[in-house]
Amino acid sequence: MLAGFALIALPMFFFLTLKIGAIIYATFISFFQWGLRGARDVKGLENYQRLLSDPIFHKAIANTLYYAVVWVPLTMALGLFLAVIVNQKIRGQTFFRASFYFPSIASSAAITVLWIFLFQPDGLFNDVRAALGLNPLFELFGLGPKHAWISTSNTALNTIIALNVWTTSGTFMLFYLAYLQTISKDVYEAAAIDGAGAWQTFWKITFPLLKPGHYFVATVAFIGAFQMFDQAYIGGGADGTPNNSLTTIVLYLYRKAIADFDFGYAAAVGVVLFLIIMAVTLIQRRLFGQTPGWY
Amino acid sequence: MAVATAAPNTTAANVEPVGDRSAAWRRRLAFTILIAYALLMFVPFAWTVVTSFKTQPDALNLSWIPNPFTTEGWETAFNRLDPTLPRLFFNSALIATAVTLSNVALGSMAGYAFARLRFPGREVLFVLVLATLMIPDQLRLVPVYILLNNVVDLVNSGPTNYLSVIVVLAIQAESVFLLRQYFLTIPRDLEEAAKIDGAGFFTTFARVILPLASPAIAAVAILQFQGSWNNFFWPLVLLQERSHWTLPLGLAQFRFQYFTNWPALMAVVVMATLPILVLYLFFQRYFVAGVAASGVKG
Repeated sequence: MLAGFALIALPMFFFLTLKIGAIIYATFISFFQWGLRGARDVKGLENYQRLLSDPIFHKAIANTLYYAVVWVPLTMALGLFLAVIVNQKIRGQTFFRASFYFPSIASSAAITVLWIFLFQPDGLFNDVRAALGLNPLFELFGLGPKHAWISTSNTALNTIIALNVWTTSGTFMLFYLAYLQTISKDVYEAAAIDGAGAWQTFWKITFPLLKPGHYFVATVAFIGAFQMFDQAYIGGGADGTPNNSLTTIVLYLYRKAIADFDFGYAAAVGVVLFLIIMAVTLIQRRLFGQTPGWY
Repeated sequence: MAVATAAPNTTAANVEPVGDRSAAWRRRLAFTILIAYALLMFVPFAWTVVTSFKTQPDALNLSWIPNPFTTEGWETAFNRLDPTLPRLFFNSALIATAVTLSNVALGSMAGYAFARLRFPGREVLFVLVLATLMIPDQLRLVPVYILLNNVVDLVNSGPTNYLSVIVVLAIQAESVFLLRQYFLTIPRDLEEAAKIDGAGFFTTFARVILPLASPAIAAVAILQFQGSWNNFFWPLVLLQERSHWTLPLGLAQFRFQYFTNWPALMAVVVMATLPILVLYLFFQRYFVAGVAASGVKG
């Protein structure tokens, strides 16, 4: 017993102060007007009332939800698609798996700067779509041949979504691969004997049997989506330029805390984000009706 | 899996019970998709390297050969970056190394305690640790900033400033979880044998258990080194002095300052990506082993 306490004491100290304690402390701070020098005034629920009528906060919520709702399914679908294909008996399987995963582990700052370069008005993306003769298609959406993707407010967030689909689908592919390998070969053999085609086998067997996988990936994906910060900051700075189109909840939390030192208000933003994530996780648990793994 | 990878296409097709021809056709289609998607992965990185050797006006041309070939971009990156590129590199390496060591040490301690030792409150504490996986890291911004700034004074301009980021990343739930799962797979007999041989508890832990867990320790080390090398949020919040900045911070600042100097920017992108690429080439299987326990980067 002593040995147990001896080993657990130091790690637990970090968890209890800087993680769990921090969340409780943040909730406490959210009820105050709190500046660099500490608490100045008890505010009760005033910070939360301010949030209700703060148009930029609403914009941040809308942007984050839009990001989550578009990014999560796209990345999951692409990750699953890649996993199923890579899982076939194919030459160079290891090579493909390794190369698809690489963008996931490269530095977010480096990859975002690279992406901004590709999507600038004279960048590779605009050049390639012109060369492929795709520009009439883009004109339909009002996007000119020299469109500035990241610095125009109606395409900035979508460009970041494309970036993160590209990077993170490799991670989701690996998650799905692990779950694909739990499906017994017998099921596929039985399906083949019954004359099921590839398409039918996927929708009738693989997809439903992957339910625990969908649950795990969706949970991880939503938590990740609500944390989006690096790409938004490097794309548009702390102001979410252009026109708050890149202001996510976490970017706004950062702006209020570090630029304005309005700690009480920033803490309230954090608490609301926490509540949103809890709600989404509970809804997911309801939908999937199980709790495998560590979630 | 390994056997399937090594098997040539034709033998694999013979195993398939249904229509050889449609299976072969399907495999060809899959192969084409894979090649196309792999190109989508490589082209942007290759484009980065090519651009870093172009002149500024040439960087806007759709051409794979720099004309003229120049190292101007690299020179700008080495001369204009503030702090200098070697300094940024040093800072990133210092913080990443400390975070890695700390996660391995604290993670093995907690992981072993949760896997093998009995003490009151063990289950509750373990659930608490796992619960932190569901809490977005950045939610801690305000309390952590206040604690580190007002209580322990680490958000300063002196060398202890490095400690602020190290402390925040010192132990991650993924590290504890990954190591605990691995310790659970080690047969208890080994510990009992060591005990019979007269080894004390800490000797057993250090000499028997930890060496056996080296694959898991390697996975944790790789995961944490890469994670903190790439970490952008906490250095941005906590590193006050420019001279303490890490590579991602230097790169972001460089982008805001020299936003049209693409060759120089791409040179820095290459420098920030290269160490992770090298690490990945050598330790690929540990990256893959670690991923199941890791979350998604934000």
